[in-house]
Amino acid sequence: MRHVAETNVSAARDDAAASAPAPAAAAPARPVAAPGRLARALSFRNISAVYVFVALFVLFSIWVPDTFLAGDTWRALISSQAVTAMLAIGLVIALSAGAFDLSIGATLGFGHIVVAWLLVERGVPIAPAIALTIVAGAVVGLLNGLLVVRARIDSFIATLGVSSVVLAMIAWISSSQQILGLSNAFQKIGTTEILGLTLPVYLMLGVALVTWYVLECTPIGRHVYATGGNIEAARLAGVRTSAVVVVALVCCGAIAAFSGLLVSSALGTGDPTIGPAYLLPAFSAAFLGSTQFRGGRFNVWGTVLAVYVLATGVKGLQLAGAPIWIPDLFNGVALLLAVGLAKYQGTARRAGAVKRLLRFEKGE
Amino acid sequence: MSRLLEVRHLSKTFPGLRALDDVSLSVGAGEIVALVGQNGSGKSTLVKVLAGLHEPDPGSEVALGTGPDGSAVRLHFIHQDLGLVDGLSTIENLDLDRMHGRRSLLPAPRRAERRHAEQLVADFGASFDVTRPIAELSAAERTIVAIARALDGWEHPGNVLVLDEPTAALHGDEVQKLFVAVREVAERGAGVIFISHRLDEVVELADRVVVLRDGRLIADVARGEFDHDELVRLIAGAIDTADTAHGRPEGRDAVLRARRVRGATIRDLDLDLHAGEVVGVSGVLGSGREELASILFGCGAGEVGELLVEGRALRARTPRHAIDAGIAYVPGDRHRQGAVMTMTARENMTLPRMRALRRVLGRLDGGAERAEAQRWFERVKVHPPDPERTLALFSGGNQQKVVLAKWLRNDPKVLLMDEPTQGVDVGAKAGIFELVAGAAAAGAGVLISSSDAKELAVICDRVLVMRDGEVAAEIGKADLSEARLVAAALGRARTNGSRVVGDEARG
Repeated sequence: MRHVAETNVSAARDDAAASAPAPAAAAPARPVAAPGRLARALSFRNISAVYVFVALFVLFSIWVPDTFLAGDTWRALISSQAVTAMLAIGLVIALSAGAFDLSIGATLGFGHIVVAWLLVERGVPIAPAIALTIVAGAVVGLLNGLLVVRARIDSFIATLGVSSVVLAMIAWISSSQQILGLSNAFQKIGTTEILGLTLPVYLMLGVALVTWYVLECTPIGRHVYATGGNIEAARLAGVRTSAVVVVALVCCGAIAAFSGLLVSSALGTGDPTIGPAYLLPAFSAAFLGSTQFRGGRFNVWGTVLAVYVLATGVKGLQLAGAPIWIPDLFNGVALLLAVGLAKYQGTARRAGAVKRLLRFEKGE
Repeated sequence: MSRLLEVRHLSKTFPGLRALDDVSLSVGAGEIVALVGQNGSGKSTLVKVLAGLHEPDPGSEVALGTGPDGSAVRLHFIHQDLGLVDGLSTIENLDLDRMHGRRSLLPAPRRAERRHAEQLVADFGASFDVTRPIAELSAAERTIVAIARALDGWEHPGNVLVLDEPTAALHGDEVQKLFVAVREVAERGAGVIFISHRLDEVVELADRVVVLRDGRLIADVARGEFDHDELVRLIAGAIDTADTAHGRPEGRDAVLRARRVRGATIRDLDLDLHAGEVVGVSGVLGSGREELASILFGCGAGEVGELLVEGRALRARTPRHAIDAGIAYVPGDRHRQGAVMTMTARENMTLPRMRALRRVLGRLDGGAERAEAQRWFERVKVHPPDPERTLALFSGGNQQKVVLAKWLRNDPKVLLMDEPTQGVDVGAKAGIFELVAGAAAAGAGVLISSSDAKELAVICDRVLVMRDGEVAAEIGKADLSEARLVAAALGRARTNGSRVVGDEARG
């Protein structure tokens, strides 16, 4: 009996959002459900990205084995995508609270240029420069948040407008010129290798871990998801929804600026044009990630996984000699597929459960 | 009498739930068929299958007849949410489902459309500005627009009109107007499927009543073979609808003391709510009845001059402060305000107060939370008994029980409720009344604002009847009856009948 109870508890934890009940939910025949839950946890629908990853891996291993299977390729891939993954994690926070943040690309570029400007043009020491950069990103997020909750502008429009403003500030600060001459000490942040992977990978995993903990394991996270699910109902249940939205956007902005800082460090320059290119990959990953693990809820680990699955596909195609426009195509199609899949998922999950139930009844 | 719609052996299965089980029914020309049953009995599912929103299980059959002119019968639906576009005017909403063909590129004939819309609205005895956005109309006016749209533009009268809880937001007079229109439609040769929880309406209107229980067809009875009590018995099995209210001690302390409540229509209302007391708020739409609870909770547009909970003044007026002071609020609109439908029942239940479940580093104790959700599920008897299910997958009555459990879990001192049994069946209603009575017995002061006078007459110790933003009458336990409440609510309107609709437009 004790064993059964434990199985149920852990299964429930894995499947909290999927919530698909046991076929015989009406009767107290819960143990029957245990293998079903495992099968569902491993089903294509729940972890499709893992299967897609395996498929891509096999495909490119056969197609371009020499370059694709090289250890250096993978080390470079993991390190180069750490920034995108971190940005996408920030985006997950905003999306979970129901706020679209279209300014993350620009905010990343802003952090990127601000840190270079502070270090090179203003001679600020490294530690305060980092702190100020993060604060700058948080201020952009605060502006987004206040526009959404105070001025009551839809987050889509508010962040689109802020994005343009931030791009203008980038051009103003940098005079649209690259900022060269970042010190070696600063460049170490982006280039130091530990166990073959650069420091940003570990920083990204740290941010992911903290974000995951707050979103999934604490009452704060519950408030965030409730706000994203139904802001009015959440407010009436006592959730301070305005604060949730503002704080989510502030975190998103701060993480975006920090991501930009890591790019400066890795490149050794401040380039005023890099920001917007990160927007689409982050959105693709966040939406594709929402179809993984948690049955339609935006979540951190699904998003990190999605970043690397997308990057693997792009990398493989590049190694196979695909033209330069492939990444844009790949990310765009992935975003559309992910959102389409998420919409389909809700109906498909029910239909699947019904099919199992009908089969189950016939078997009886 | 020709068959317009024939349903044979219809089944529909959801995960963990057989929503419909081998249901057969038919609708003939000129016939008004009422569909009744508890929440979760399968009524909504049946409507959704007819509408094509759900695919029925294999083996089911839904056949449509042909109209007098040989063309296929069409089904027209008016759902609970009416399906109107809030931002568009009455004229534009009426125009939405009309096929224009090639003319859709030409400028719309504005004057003719306007006259047409005004005529349609006038057919229902209403008069309001048809150019105003739907969102600015009252609930009653919106219902009228929805029905007018469904009836407008039928090529032949032999179609089927499906009305899903059309009277939920209407009061006596307006319900009668609606019934006149529905009978008119049937006399022209249409079939009508009418879904309602108000059995009096069913008895009055229906030619035939189809009763569903647990997804199965329990009875299909013709006019004259049923009365109110018989229907209750068929719907619920045997449910005791007798008084659940008990004489409660008078003169106890006021748990809630509100002075100078003001809102869009409410003017300087004073209210004392005593521990252990169930107070009803009645009145027609626009009388201020629907505002009061939300203003007290701090989420509605309005202000309170002085608000004391157990003698302590509540200064900041936000839902969070109200909850911390011991106030609970069950809103009337479950989907928009009552709960987060995309989250699980467990997550909804613990949302207002997770402090007791918080551990080191702010971690939420998942095991304790699940156990508590399970306990509450058993206590309020939710079906199916799985708190890990997404709330949207429960039926209306069970969703409402989850919402109630969410608040009762806080041991509220004051329980405010708007339309607590809206879209809830006889059986679940009894369960909800029991929970309300239990909360009152535990010392809470309960305020129920409802458009259902009979329900208020049954559960309340006293009822405040509102009219034009003021308490027009207070009726004590001894004098409570549905008739008295309705009469008191309509007091002024009756001397000047044409004002009813106009009043609501302003409300």
